[in-house]
Amino acid sequence: MPSSAANLLVLVPLLPLLGAIGTVLLGRRLGPRAHLPAVAGIGAAAVVALLLLLGTANQVGAGHGDPLRPAEPVEMITTLWQWATVGDARSGDLSVTENSGLGAPVAPGTADHGGAFSIPIALRLDPLTATLLTIITGVGLLVAIYSIGYMHDDPGYPRFFALVAMFVFSMSMLVAASNFLLVYVFWEAVGACSYLLIGFWYTKPEAARAAKKAFLVNRVGDFGLAIATFLLWMTYGTLDFHDTHLADGTIVEGILGQIRLADEAGYVGGAVGTAICLLMLLAACGKSAQMPLHVWLPDAMEGPTPASALIHAATMVTAGIYLITRSAPLFVGCPGALAMVSIVGATTALVAALIATVQNDLKRVLAYSTISQLGYMFVALGTGTMLGFTAAIFHLVTHAFFKALLFLGAGSVMHAMGGVIDMRRFGGLRHVMPITAATFLVGACALAGVPPFAGFFSKDEILATLHAKAHPDAHGSDHAEAGSAGERPRDSSGQLGVAAPSPFRPASMTTRSARRGAPGEHGSTTEKVGLDALDHPSTWRLLFWMSLLTAGLTAFYTFRAVFMTFTGPVRVPKEAGHHAHESPPAMTSPLLVLAVLSAFSGLVLFVTNALSSFLAATPSLTAPAVARTAVPHVFHWDIAIQGTLAAAIGIAVAAIGHLGRRSDSPQMERYLGPLGTLFANKFYFDQIYAALIVKPLEALAMVTAFFDRAIVDGTVDAIGQVPLAWGSAIRRMQSGLVQRYALAGVVGVLAIVLALAWQLRP
Amino acid sequence: MIPATMLTNALLVGAVLFCLGLVGILTRRNLIVMFLSAELMLQGVSVTLVAWSRYHGDWGGQVLVVFVLTVAACEAAVALVFVLQAFARTGRLDASAWQSLREENLPRVIDHELPADDRVVPTWPHLSPAGVLPEGDDSRSLERDHV
Repeated sequence: MPSSAANLLVLVPLLPLLGAIGTVLLGRRLGPRAHLPAVAGIGAAAVVALLLLLGTANQVGAGHGDPLRPAEPVEMITTLWQWATVGDARSGDLSVTENSGLGAPVAPGTADHGGAFSIPIALRLDPLTATLLTIITGVGLLVAIYSIGYMHDDPGYPRFFALVAMFVFSMSMLVAASNFLLVYVFWEAVGACSYLLIGFWYTKPEAARAAKKAFLVNRVGDFGLAIATFLLWMTYGTLDFHDTHLADGTIVEGILGQIRLADEAGYVGGAVGTAICLLMLLAACGKSAQMPLHVWLPDAMEGPTPASALIHAATMVTAGIYLITRSAPLFVGCPGALAMVSIVGATTALVAALIATVQNDLKRVLAYSTISQLGYMFVALGTGTMLGFTAAIFHLVTHAFFKALLFLGAGSVMHAMGGVIDMRRFGGLRHVMPITAATFLVGACALAGVPPFAGFFSKDEILATLHAKAHPDAHGSDHAEAGSAGERPRDSSGQLGVAAPSPFRPASMTTRSARRGAPGEHGSTTEKVGLDALDHPSTWRLLFWMSLLTAGLTAFYTFRAVFMTFTGPVRVPKEAGHHAHESPPAMTSPLLVLAVLSAFSGLVLFVTNALSSFLAATPSLTAPAVARTAVPHVFHWDIAIQGTLAAAIGIAVAAIGHLGRRSDSPQMERYLGPLGTLFANKFYFDQIYAALIVKPLEALAMVTAFFDRAIVDGTVDAIGQVPLAWGSAIRRMQSGLVQRYALAGVVGVLAIVLALAWQLRP
Repeated sequence: MIPATMLTNALLVGAVLFCLGLVGILTRRNLIVMFLSAELMLQGVSVTLVAWSRYHGDWGGQVLVVFVLTVAACEAAVALVFVLQAFARTGRLDASAWQSLREENLPRVIDHELPADDRVVPTWPHLSPAGVLPEGDDSRSLERDHV
């Protein structure tokens, strides 16, 4: 799918951008129809993204049925223009001055780029990008339509739609960018959109504070991504994902290009590789709200609910999952970093689930649930297996559906309750708003992992991949010799020694392997770092049980929210006024669409195995180290039963406590005792950060402010006093009496005359 | 051509005129008198110019004097307008009436106090009120502080 697809790919970000610009320019004039440009732009982008998804799926082909056979990588690169070029240009249309010897591909660790630097604005289309583009634009469209109903009469109506369209543009660019620097740029751009949408009601102090908090906490993660980008540049000499063919026939290997992917020794492990991966993990933790940087997401619920649904549940927070999946080949060379991904994910999932069990704010329950589910995805990513990566993306897709559904349902409740979101203040709403209640229940079932809803299948895959890591012997396929010849079997620690050059490398690679042998280079991938000891079956066993516990907790808090909100006697707060009825069709129709998707997408995608086999053709996942971990597509009955059992217990406990009761009577929390206080205070994360970071910084700021006022300003003011003093002395001559001025003039003339006379004396 | 003795006499007259004018401008306060004094200084200079012109037999000096007279005539018109305007503003021709243009926080220069007003306050006959009493401007002083 050559140029036509390239043009189409450009349209996906371009159309929302045009929609955003149109909304900005015409917003005031359109008044209550200000949503038209943005909705039209996002809608058209969604159609294009769907076409691209189908096109890519067509290209991946139906013949790819055997999961053990490595998929042919499918990618398409569109270079729009060169953003920046320093030194010898690498772009094909500019002449290359260096000779062929220097033009050879650079080896990892040497960064033989000779100062040359080129950043193309390159977009890529591969299965991962196509999947995410469809989710972003699709959920974006539904949320935009929903917002027409939700945001009506808001004074910032045009601004909201401009920001949503801007966000869809930034997020599309983030997943379509084929360059780490571009990824970084749009990583920041989505952060900026998120900041603006959290602080959408900027006159509300909580919203302004939450926006600031989100921005600052994200900055910690962005810092990690920046350093990781620098390290990648130092190590690989390029930031491109793809290979670039120069005019003179040489090839610049991209970090995730076909050549390096096919090369067993293409990636740096050891300390440098682990550092890159850990920094990327830090970045992902910031954006995807993982511990210890998760504190911004619950506060981000101060923003409008549709923005929470789109950005803080379905799309932007999955950027971290995208980044790690995209960088999968970098991660699989660093088992320690991978294990850290899982550990962070599992800890976050468990802690967030525990906190969610005692929250009374419906949106906050969902926010902690988002953190928890993102943790789930991290757990899957950290396994470093094909199933792990595809399961994470599978869960990302289903989570986007059901969490968007739940948030929009919460928004519908909030809309009807006149802005009240405390679950203790309303109840029995299934009689008041039946469509919202039904769709919310579907979403809750999907989140809780009730078969056969979507979340059940994706959660099952995640548990299965963890189980495979925890019990490597039980899964015979894990030892299967898959992939092409020339690969060595795993060593005792379950990792593959990848130092030996593959005999199937292209001829141009020989230079590199020779260079690799040179002493003093850190290119050896067999180098172990201390962190790698974490990658041990016992660790994975622990993570498996943590995840299973999280699954039960998820079911509990989800259904606690459902029972508190929708069952029991009908109670409506007085703020609701005349609003206490079902929401308008603009709001309920996206709910219905998402409910259908939440109910059936998991079943369809799992039974047909469409998503996994599709994603397997993503270039990053065709790296031999990933591809050889592919396992046959089977349904794990044992794990499914465990997961379902956990969900059933959670729902049962929630039902005992809350089903049919007044929502303001705490049922389960009173049994928690001091733990309840701990959970209700969110494990004191905010307090710890306040004590360790905020307060010392404030003290430093006070000292600095004192220095500024007393010393810097004091010096400047003292200098300012000097002319004033002079002035006050001379000023006394300004008497206002003309005669004195005239006298002064006469005296002056006399003085001059006398001086002249003295000089001209004979 | 005139002899040196006549030159000396003429120069003396010029110098006397100039000094009279200078003393006048430094000591007198009446704006019109100050202006006249300035004219006197101008004429002193003119006399000097004519004297030197005659002494050297060079008409340049006398041509300059004609220019000076012309310019002085124009200047007189402008200066008198200023004086009139100043009078209209303050009601006085005293140059010290413009003392308020001095620097802030400086004391006023008062060289002599006005004699105390020892007039007997007239007692006006009391009439039955015929309407609203017009408001008198008590703040109005002889010398205005603000331009």
